[in-house]
Amino acid sequence: MGLTATSDGTQPQDSDGLTATEHRLANGLRVVLSQDHLTPVASVCLWYDVGSRHEVKGRTGLAHLFEHLMFQGSSSVKGNGHFELVQGAGGSLNGTTSFERTNYFETMPAHQVELALWLEADRMGSLLTALDEESLENQRDVVKNERRQRYDNVPYGTAFERLTALAYPDGHPYHHTPIGSMADLDAASLEDARAFFRTYYAPNNAVLAVVGDIDPEQTLAWVEKYFGTIPGHDGKPAPRDGSLPDVMGGQLREIVEEDVPSRALMAAYRLPHDGTRESDAADLALTVLGGGESSRLHNRLVRHDRSAVAAGFGLLRLAGAPSLGWLDIKASSGVELADIEAAVDEELARFAAEGPTPQEMERAQAQLEREWLDRLATVAGRADELCRFAVLYGDPQLALSAVQRVLEITAEEVQAVAAARLRPDNRAVLVYEPTGSPDEAADETEQEGADQ
Amino acid sequence: MTDVAATMTFHPQPQPGAPKPWAFPAPDRSTLGNGLTVLTSHRPGQKVVAVEVLLSAPLDAEPEGLDGVATIMARAFSEGTDKLTAEEFAAELERCGATLDAHADHPGVRVSLEVPASRLDKALGLLADALRAPAFPDSEVERLVNNRLDEIPHELANPARRASMALSAELFPADLRCSRPRQGTEQTVARIDAAAVRAFYEAYVRPATTTAVVVGDLTGIDLVALLDETLGEWTGSTAEPRPLPQITADDTARVVIVDRPGAVQTQLLIGRTGSDRHDPVWAAQVLGTYCLGGTLTSRLDRVLREEKGYTYGVRAFGQVLLSTQEGTGASLLAISGSVATEVTGPALADAWQVIRTLAAEGLTDDERDVAVQNLVGVAPLRYETAAAVAGTLADQVEQFLPDDFQAQMYARLARTGTVEATAAVVSAFPLERMVVVLVGDASAIEGPVTELGLGPVKVIAAG
Repeated sequence: MGLTATSDGTQPQDSDGLTATEHRLANGLRVVLSQDHLTPVASVCLWYDVGSRHEVKGRTGLAHLFEHLMFQGSSSVKGNGHFELVQGAGGSLNGTTSFERTNYFETMPAHQVELALWLEADRMGSLLTALDEESLENQRDVVKNERRQRYDNVPYGTAFERLTALAYPDGHPYHHTPIGSMADLDAASLEDARAFFRTYYAPNNAVLAVVGDIDPEQTLAWVEKYFGTIPGHDGKPAPRDGSLPDVMGGQLREIVEEDVPSRALMAAYRLPHDGTRESDAADLALTVLGGGESSRLHNRLVRHDRSAVAAGFGLLRLAGAPSLGWLDIKASSGVELADIEAAVDEELARFAAEGPTPQEMERAQAQLEREWLDRLATVAGRADELCRFAVLYGDPQLALSAVQRVLEITAEEVQAVAAARLRPDNRAVLVYEPTGSPDEAADETEQEGADQ
Repeated sequence: MTDVAATMTFHPQPQPGAPKPWAFPAPDRSTLGNGLTVLTSHRPGQKVVAVEVLLSAPLDAEPEGLDGVATIMARAFSEGTDKLTAEEFAAELERCGATLDAHADHPGVRVSLEVPASRLDKALGLLADALRAPAFPDSEVERLVNNRLDEIPHELANPARRASMALSAELFPADLRCSRPRQGTEQTVARIDAAAVRAFYEAYVRPATTTAVVVGDLTGIDLVALLDETLGEWTGSTAEPRPLPQITADDTARVVIVDRPGAVQTQLLIGRTGSDRHDPVWAAQVLGTYCLGGTLTSRLDRVLREEKGYTYGVRAFGQVLLSTQEGTGASLLAISGSVATEVTGPALADAWQVIRTLAAEGLTDDERDVAVQNLVGVAPLRYETAAAVAGTLADQVEQFLPDDFQAQMYARLARTGTVEATAAVVSAFPLERMVVVLVGDASAIEGPVTELGLGPVKVIAAG
C-alpha cells in the first residue's frame, strides 16, 4: 500500500493512556492515528506547513484568504459542498490560519469519517479545477469584512497587529499578522492564489491526524485510497529565517491616540522559541505573574493599587521565531499609565530577583495542567495538538507528554527565564490614550450567541 | 495548469457506515438533607469535572434602583469566606487547577466550577464555603463596584453589546427588568455596597432553592459523601422560589440607529420576542431558524456572505430570556451580524428579500433534511465535554424543563416536517413585527436605511 509505519510499537503513553501511531504514504503525506472509543465521534485534522510567515511583501493575508478559497469547491465538490456535506452528515468543520500553519478540521460522527477524508483529499488534489475569479472576488470581500469585524471596528482591535509589527522588525517573516492589510487583500490575484496552492498545498507538506472512535487499519486504508495518488512535489521554498537575538536590546514604544473607552498598557516581551524547556519555564513565569486571579499583577494592580480593571499575561508560542509574552492592562478611570508601568516594572524585577514561591509554582503548574486537560478533552483538540507537534517539531508523540514537561520545570528555571527576558529593554510597548469624551451609563447583555 | 488533478485518482463520494448509538445523558437526581437538589452524570474519560450551581436569585428580585447587585454578589462569592481571605481563596482555588465563574442573569445566578477530577474534593469544598459563608468584605465589594463602573465604557464601545442593550431598551417596557442592562448602569451600580449585597444574599440564596449539576469522569469518587461534606453542610430556611414576571414586548416595526461616527461596519441586530421552550413549536422553530440563518450555507449567508460578500456572517437564533413552569416565559428571536458600512442598505434589503422569499415559497424538503441531519447528528460532538453536558442540564433546570428535554428534542426534530418548520420560522420572523437596531455611522447609513421603508427611523447617541 505504499505505507511505511514509522512507529516502533513501543509508543510512550501519557497518564491517561492516550497513544498515537505514525505512518507515511509514498507521496510524503504523514498520518497520525489515535483511538478513543468512549464517544462515537472522530476528528479529521489536516495541517499544512504554511502560514503568514511564508507570505511575501505586498501579499500579506494571502495564506488566510487562500484558506477561505479551500471551502469554495474542488473537482468532485460543487460550490459550498464541503460545508454542506459535512454539516449534512452531522459534522462540524472549519479552518484557521496562523503565522506558522494552516489547519482544516472536520469533527464527525464516527460512521461518517470516510466522507471527511474524501473531501480533504479532493481539495488537496484538485482545488485548482474549481477555483475561479468569482470565488476569489467573493471571498476577498468576506475576508475584508472579517478584518473589519474582528480588528478595525472594535476598540483596541488593531493592538495585536501593531505590537507584532513593533516586536518583529520590518522584513521579518512575523512582522505582519495573518489577517493581512486591506491593500494587500485587494491586490491578491487569481494567479497569486494558484501559485500559492501549487507551492504549498502538497501531501508532503501536510500532516493528517485522525483521532477518536476509529478502526486504525480501515482508516489507514481509506487514507491511502483517497490521498495516495495525489502527487507530492518539492517546490516549496524554505521560509525566511525568523531567528532574532535573545533580547531586543532596547524598549520600543508606540503611543496610540484613538477613541477607546479607557487608557491601556500593552506590551510584548521577546521570549524563547516554543518547543524548548525555556518556553515552558516562560509559560509558568507568565502564569505566576499574570495568569489568573491569584497572580502577582492581578493582586498588585487590580486588588491592591486598584489602578487596573484587568491585568494579565499570555503566551503566544511560536516555533520559527521568538515567542511573545503578551501583557494586557486596561486602566481604571483617572489612573496614569506611568504609575501602572512603574508597578509592572517593580513586580517583574522583584520576581526576577526572588523567583516564584513553591506555592506559586504549584498553582501555576496546576493551571497549566488543567489547560492541557481541556485541550485534550475533545478528539478535535487532540488531533490538532498531534498535528502541531508533528508539523512544527517532527514528532506527534510530544503532544502526549507535553503536560509532563511542564510539571518537570523547576522554580530556578522559571526565575532564570524571567531574569533574562522579562525586562524593560526586551519589550515593545503600546500605550493607548483615549481621544473621545467620557461615556455615559451602559448596558450589558450576552447577545453574541450566534455561533460564528 | 489542471495537470495536478489529472494525475489523481478520483473516487465516488463514500457512503456512511452504520451510525453508532448515542443518547443525551440522563442525569441522576437527588436531594441533600438541606434541600439542595443535585443532578449528576458520569462521563467516562472527561478528566475535567464541571459543576454548575443555580441560585434562585433572578434579576427581577434586585431592589429598585440597585440593578447590578446580583452581579456584584456573584462576583463577591470568590472574595473570601469565613475561613479564607479573598487572596487566600483565589490562591487555593488555583492550587486545585480550578476555574470559578459566576454571573447573574434573568433566571438567577449561575456559578460554574471546572476542576480536574483528582482535585474535585478540594474545589467543591471551596465552592461550598463560598456559597455557605461568603465574607463579602466591605473593601472588596467596594473594589468590585468600582471595577464594574470601569467596565461599563468598554461595553458601550463594543458594537455587538451596544446593539443588544439598545434592542432590550426598545422591546421591553422600562419597568420590566429585562429592558435594562443585566449588570446595571453607572447610576445603579454606584449605589451598591456590601450591605446591599449581603441583604440580597440573605433574601435569595439558600440551599433549598439551589441546584447543583456535577458532570465528568467520577470514577473512584464517592460523590454522595463528598456532596454531604461540602454543599450538604450549608444550612438555610426553606422558601418558595420567587414568581417570575410576565414579559411583554412592543415589536412594532421600527429602526433605531445607534450613532458611531466613522464606524467601518454596521452591527445589525434585528429582533422580537417569542415564547419559551415549553412551546410545542420550539423544535420546528429551531429547525426553521437554522435553515434561515444557522450557518454559512443557510439562506441569509448564502446571499449576504457567499454571493454578495457583504459580511463575515449573519446568524438567526432564538435565545431564552426567562422561562416559567407554565410556559409563559419569553425568548429573543433575532438576526445578528456586521456588514460593511457602505452596503448597509443593500444588505438589509437582501435580508428582507430572503425572508419574503422564504415566506412565499417555504423551505424545501432537502433543506429540511440537511438541517435535521446536522442538528441531530452533531449531538455527540456538541456534548463531548463535561462542561457542555453540565451547561445544558443546568439550562433545563433553570428553565423548568424536564431532565430529558434535550433528549426528547432530538426525537422531536427528527419528526418535524418541512411544512411545520416553514410555518414556525415564518411566524418567528414577520417583517412587519421586527425591531431593527443598527450600530454604525448614522451619517452614512440613515439615508439608505430610511429609503427601505422598514419603519420609522430614529438616531440615538452611542454614549
